[in-house]
Amino acid sequence: MEALKRALRSGRPVALWHDPPQLRYLVEGPSGMEEFRIPADRTFTCLAREFPALAWFERQLAEVAALQRIGCADPKPLRDHGTPFPFATYDGLHEVPVGPVHAGVIEPGHFRFSVLGERIVNLEIRLGYQHRGVRAAFLGSSLERGRLLAERVGSEPVAHALCYARAVELIAGVEVPPYADRFRLVLLELERIFQHLGHLAGLFTDIGYAFAATQTGRVRAMVQAEIERLSGHRYARNAIVLGGVAARVDEDAARAARAKLSELAYDTSTYIAPVLRHPMVLDRLRYVGVVSEGQAHRLGLVGPTARASGIGRDLRSDEPSYRPFVPVTRVGGDVLSRAHVYLLEAQASFGLLDRFLRELPDGPTAVPVVAPDGEAWARIESARGELLYVVKAREQRVQAIEIVSPSFKNWPALEVAVRGGGLPDFPICNKSFDLSYADSDL
Amino acid sequence: MKRLLATLQTGRLTKRLDDLLALPASSPGIPLLRPERLSDEVRAALVALCPSGAFAEDGGEFRLDLAACVACGRCLRRHPDAIGEWRTLDVAVTRRDDLVQRVDLARGTLIEPSDPPPSRPELRLPTLGCRAVSAGNGGLDDSEIALAGNPYHDMSRFGFTLVASPRHADALLVTGPVSENMLPPLERTYHAMAAPKAVVAVGNEAIAGELFAGSPCVRGGVDRVLDVDVYVPGSPARPASILFGLLLLVGRVRQTLVGGQPRSQRPAPPRP
Ligand code: SF4
Repeated sequence: MEALKRALRSGRPVALWHDPPQLRYLVEGPSGMEEFRIPADRTFTCLAREFPALAWFERQLAEVAALQRIGCADPKPLRDHGTPFPFATYDGLHEVPVGPVHAGVIEPGHFRFSVLGERIVNLEIRLGYQHRGVRAAFLGSSLERGRLLAERVGSEPVAHALCYARAVELIAGVEVPPYADRFRLVLLELERIFQHLGHLAGLFTDIGYAFAATQTGRVRAMVQAEIERLSGHRYARNAIVLGGVAARVDEDAARAARAKLSELAYDTSTYIAPVLRHPMVLDRLRYVGVVSEGQAHRLGLVGPTARASGIGRDLRSDEPSYRPFVPVTRVGGDVLSRAHVYLLEAQASFGLLDRFLRELPDGPTAVPVVAPDGEAWARIESARGELLYVVKAREQRVQAIEIVSPSFKNWPALEVAVRGGGLPDFPICNKSFDLSYADSDL
Repeated sequence: MKRLLATLQTGRLTKRLDDLLALPASSPGIPLLRPERLSDEVRAALVALCPSGAFAEDGGEFRLDLAACVACGRCLRRHPDAIGEWRTLDVAVTRRDDLVQRVDLARGTLIEPSDPPPSRPELRLPTLGCRAVSAGNGGLDDSEIALAGNPYHDMSRFGFTLVASPRHADALLVTGPVSENMLPPLERTYHAMAAPKAVVAVGNEAIAGELFAGSPCVRGGVDRVLDVDVYVPGSPARPASILFGLLLLVGRVRQTLVGGQPRSQRPAPPRP
């Protein structure tokens, strides 16, 4: 326990789950990943008071593993709608309930604001509306069906399928062919551009800047057309298979995609980038929804959100194919900084794509995967941040699974970011994180 | 000034409906069973190769449920003789049965269903306010609804708009397999709408749960809890299919798929 606390003080929790009869903590510290196993059969000691980054994990444990919490600071349910949710109330403050059904076409979640006039004093988020029993659906599935499920966990099918596939391939001890390895990254970077431009288009819509929203939407639609051309699906579902990829793109197609993508990179720099220098846009986005670097550390935030608050961690730095790689970092921690990170990362991904598509290796597209009984985990830097799959296989079926999505880690950031801000700023704050409800509700 | 120029240079993006309904060459179309080519081996192979279990056989009947197809294209590639392909996106139907192809194995022919019912006359509205509710969808069907409003698809040219309040809505677009936790808000949204009102199940998950069918945390389809007027299949349902579904709802197009196969294709000619 002391060793765990020491690691948490200098690092960041990556995952916490119950693997009876023990709790398993993955902590990323300065010297890499460490795992801790703490026995727990009916109870466990909460550490969230000292390490707030564990708070949602501990709420999850109480529900998923039915473990009693000892010393719990925040005994609220997470996804369970059978027990009432004890929203914080304050004397003299007005309560504003928002959701689960929101004004736009987005996923459901409930936000409870305590406001003084127009100022937000406190926000509490209640999720769980999208809970479909994803973990249970995986159990006993064939490994192949697991890949289909992974593609449906959230709105980033490539990242989820890739993360799941890599975990299974680690169990099987196979290495995917060079072509597949490279083409998977092509799909991952296309998905990142598609997602990031989506966040930006949403922001521009929310501040009423139609020109920027339309141009961003236009480029995004054409990126999606390229995804479909290269993968056979608008979101590249079915393109990643266990052991490789489903099909090969020939040289002509790769060349055509490079030409189109370089046009789109030009459009991004010409039409979208200047928008973030426009005085009206600066006025709306700057100093709004601030998450400080200290808060980002304490909450264990990941992905573009953490990088916009000065934490330069991007898992792509660890992947040889990306080298040389420099994570995009901003220090403001506000909506504008997050918008900058989305834009700069999208632009960088266009560059990466050009390189990846130019160097597509020859050879087979996939190798057979026969997994012995065993366990492995894999991490992917998805568009929203760090994604983790821990897969346990037994007789070619999924015996246990743990999924930790970046959104699950970043939701608490929204509560912090809006505190003290105006209620009308909430939509752009929310859009600037653009978190997935489904992949944290599971 | 520069921006004005950029806007003008962009030109018109909106595509004609016919162009939108054509499937891009890289994506697999909808599989069509060729009853005369379904030997015992082929049927067994199809059941084994489909990753999502869209094929099934029992009681002397072989079935393909389009609402279970995840569009991987495997059956089309491996069994081009037994499986034809439909490459347009006019796939929405008013009746769940019209998404299931059924082959009578003794006779070796497709089972012909009756004509599909027309859409309800009170829904033949000049404009349609649509309220989208995600009930356990991963986010892609929702994304496709939003994209049906982008400049390329431009749903508003047909009089369709996405509205914020259910009070302003004529149609409820539901995505996802209907999670238990979203059931009460979904029903409340439906009851807040004024009559006449329609329900559209958007995407395979909303039609029959797709991969989440059987999960105890979901109902496994919108029609288990609300009367559904139009089913739009797809994994996820594509924006053009959604547009076609809305046009079908207001009675401006004729349904193409009957018993899971396009009318023009029945009886199915063998492929060369
Ligand atoms: S295309 Fe559809 S029906 Fe054919 S194998 Fe793939 S999922 Fe099954």
